[in-house]
Amino acid sequence: MINRRLLSQFDYLLFGATVLLALIGIAGIYSAGGADGSSAYSRQMIWVAVGIAVFLVFAVIDYRLLTDHAYLFYSFGIGLLIAILLFGTEIQGNKSWIKIGGFSFQFSEIVKVFLIITLSRYLAEISNRALTRRNLLYALLIVGFPLALILLQGDLGTAILYFPIAISMLLVAGMRLRVLGILALAALCLSPVGWMVLKDYQKQRILSTFDPSLDPQGIGYQTRQSQIAIGSGGVSGRGYGNGLQSQLGFVPEIHTDFIFALLAEETGLLGGLCILALYFLLLSRLVTIAEEARDRTGILIAAGAVGLLGSHVVVNVGMVLGIMPAVGIPLPLLSYGGSSTISMFAALGLVASVHYRRFLYST
Amino acid sequence: MAIYQDNRELIHRLKWLRGAFALLIIVLLVKLWYLTVVRFDHMQAMADRNQIRQLPLVAPRGVITDRNGVVLADSIPAFNLLLFLDEAEDLGATSRFLIQGLKIDAELLAERIAAGSRYAMFRPAVVRENLSMDDIAYVLAHQAEHPELKIFEQPRRRYPLGSLAAHVLGHVGEVSEGELQGETFQEYRPGDIVGKMGLERKYNRELTGRDGYRRVLVNNVGKILEELEVVEPIHGGDLQLTLDADMQRVAEEAIGDSPGAAVALDPTTGEILVLASRPAFDPNLFATRISMNEWRELTENPDHPLQNRTIHNRFSPGSVFKIIVALAGLEQGLVNPSSAVYCNGAVELYGHRFRCWKQGGHGLVSLRTAIQQSCNVYFYLLGQKLGIERISRFSKQVGLGAPTGVDLLGEVSGLVPSEEWKRRTFGTSWHAGETISVAIGQGPIDVTPVQLARAIGVVSTGRNARLHLVQGNGPIERTLTSPFSDENLRPVREAMWSVVNEWGTGRAAKVDGFKVCGKTGTVQMISNATRLRLSEEALERFEPNAWFVGFAPLDDPKVVVAVIVQRGGSGSGAAAPIAGAIFQSYYEKHVKPPKEIPAEFALKNMPEGVSR
Repeated sequence: MINRRLLSQFDYLLFGATVLLALIGIAGIYSAGGADGSSAYSRQMIWVAVGIAVFLVFAVIDYRLLTDHAYLFYSFGIGLLIAILLFGTEIQGNKSWIKIGGFSFQFSEIVKVFLIITLSRYLAEISNRALTRRNLLYALLIVGFPLALILLQGDLGTAILYFPIAISMLLVAGMRLRVLGILALAALCLSPVGWMVLKDYQKQRILSTFDPSLDPQGIGYQTRQSQIAIGSGGVSGRGYGNGLQSQLGFVPEIHTDFIFALLAEETGLLGGLCILALYFLLLSRLVTIAEEARDRTGILIAAGAVGLLGSHVVVNVGMVLGIMPAVGIPLPLLSYGGSSTISMFAALGLVASVHYRRFLYST
Repeated sequence: MAIYQDNRELIHRLKWLRGAFALLIIVLLVKLWYLTVVRFDHMQAMADRNQIRQLPLVAPRGVITDRNGVVLADSIPAFNLLLFLDEAEDLGATSRFLIQGLKIDAELLAERIAAGSRYAMFRPAVVRENLSMDDIAYVLAHQAEHPELKIFEQPRRRYPLGSLAAHVLGHVGEVSEGELQGETFQEYRPGDIVGKMGLERKYNRELTGRDGYRRVLVNNVGKILEELEVVEPIHGGDLQLTLDADMQRVAEEAIGDSPGAAVALDPTTGEILVLASRPAFDPNLFATRISMNEWRELTENPDHPLQNRTIHNRFSPGSVFKIIVALAGLEQGLVNPSSAVYCNGAVELYGHRFRCWKQGGHGLVSLRTAIQQSCNVYFYLLGQKLGIERISRFSKQVGLGAPTGVDLLGEVSGLVPSEEWKRRTFGTSWHAGETISVAIGQGPIDVTPVQLARAIGVVSTGRNARLHLVQGNGPIERTLTSPFSDENLRPVREAMWSVVNEWGTGRAAKVDGFKVCGKTGTVQMISNATRLRLSEEALERFEPNAWFVGFAPLDDPKVVVAVIVQRGGSGSGAAAPIAGAIFQSYYEKHVKPPKEIPAEFALKNMPEGVSR
């Protein structure tokens, strides 16, 4: 399989931007490790190495092979989520982790990739431009099943982030904006019910985004501290390894969810700008790949990847900057964590495969 | 499957999606720019506030010692609980913790937090002083939940000898709201400890050191990671007093619990050796916040322990004033040591019968007998000849009726009457009959014990130096020169010697080997007529004040003593023994020839460097 054509057709831009972001992440995690001397960065290096391998595997495998067996993947993913509910361990109130051989895995991350595969398969089969209600219902069921299982795990943040993936793909597949509006309205009407289901700490996180003074237990403290970290970095930052605000423990979860705060404090506005620009470059590259894709499936895979990457970046960085509720989701490729890193590499590898097989002729 | 699919529509929508994300990322960038550029200064200040903490290093106050180096006031380490208001996430929770856990009074806490929050952000509020070991353990155990609470060392004032010389030393306390607004304590901040009374107040500036601080880098749980800057506190200046703690103790113990006062001073230098006022208080009570009960006890005590009777209270001098009157008479040539007056127990002047204290009279009295026996008739007649103006002038020349300027606050003037005073105060003219009472120290004449001591100093040496309590405190200026010639002073001094050493009223002040001279005074608070109407019990409350003033030795005066015992009964019975004890202690310390000590014993047992 590895031949000259593979090397020449390989998407170096996509791969390069992905690896560059992962390396920036490792650098950030290394800097964050300064405070507690943990070896998180070295483990992240392993995850990135595994991620690169997964990327290459996904890039080389014909994506149609995967979409042909989409429902198998889907069922496997559901099985994983059920297994977590049965055998998972609780970390920070969420039962979304499972321990295998000393490592904790969060299967809800890789299920995002399976969801992209499944939805692209289902939506690609619909040839008409506008989706019928039935199509929409089926698509929503495909999303809803794993989403319900993740909600059962108590991981609201991850569950919510399933929506932008599905909606991105649905929109590209032809869902009218009006329909999206109706769906949003329905969600809004249902939200009081949802509100009652939410745990107290989740409610407070949401409230404190809008009004930091509604913050009796200091939930907003975290995002306030991350804003202080970022703001005090100024235009050019305090310098790599000198992010005092982050290093001294004022910003929580500094090597996972709040890694952007540390990077922005140390490298300043310019560093933050570079990171966001890289993400946008990646998003643009995904769109370009979709333009050149051979079929609907490829376009929808790219759309799913755009939704996945874009929504995670916006929600995570938005949280760190204090304009989004504090939901615990990782920053793609930068945050420490095997599950999210490998899943993101997998999703991007899938798109690389679309690029790789963009020509009509078959290999 | 179709070979060709028209997917332009999908691509188009995907581009819209990209546009939407681009917009969102621009929103993120705007917020990023806002935080790092627009809010940069604020965020940096907030970061510093998080990470950099300024911990006060409180300077200990200077040490106060007596003339021999005995420590009267010093500072010992103590621990205070500080609340860093800017770090408190939830002030309500912190307050509840303090009120429930440490039993801190809720009102007091609110008051202190309010006071603290008015000032600079790094300035913590002191929520409790002088923590016990239990308090410290409790706070440390809850440090993780309440990182805003910190235990800090703050030196505490200590008075090792308790109430000894309490009125001289005064006490310290937290600077009050009112004081902060005034001029004296302008540059102080709430929570600072300042002198509130006595020398602590008078020399507050000298005694106060300069506080230092530590700037440290802390992490999110307040752990100190690095010291950025240390400014060491500068110890306050020390004060060496002219007081002699041993003599002071003798005086205070001799006065005991009866309200009274004693002053001893060196008339040649103006150094005050004893300044005792009883009852006294323990200034240690004020070193931490005094309790309401203790405060009530002090303020509601009918004998006013907080008053310094040596300078704050005015007393009629009674018979001790006769010394001044006698000298005025000699100076004016109205009497001489060899002339005599006949006392038959009373004399009628201006239509009023003035009695001598001795029924049946003293018979023929000379100046010496008149002073020795304190004959009133002699001084009634002399007073009549002198008139109020001359009595007033000589009194003022020895410093009566004016503050002595001793280095304590709140000294009162006392009163020396004159015709002009009467007119000014009452709008009526002076009656010659009033002069007769003034001549024996009764009527409208008031002095303080410290004034009388100074006046006796003038009598004893013919001059006087400025009274002072702090050694080396500026050049010794002579504030008074005696209006009396040596030739006139000599018979009066000798008469005072006879008061103590012959059959006089002051025999209880006699010290073997030390030529003590003095004069007693017994000042009736009510007339004899009233006395007859009162019950035994009531009479006790109106017992006469007892005075003794004197100096020693006769030929080369080194020490002047003035003693008053309120409701003491008689000068000879109540005041003279106290003065005697003070003279005795001076004599033993400074005059008495040391006993022969066998040479080898002395060598073995004398610690080094104690020779004086």
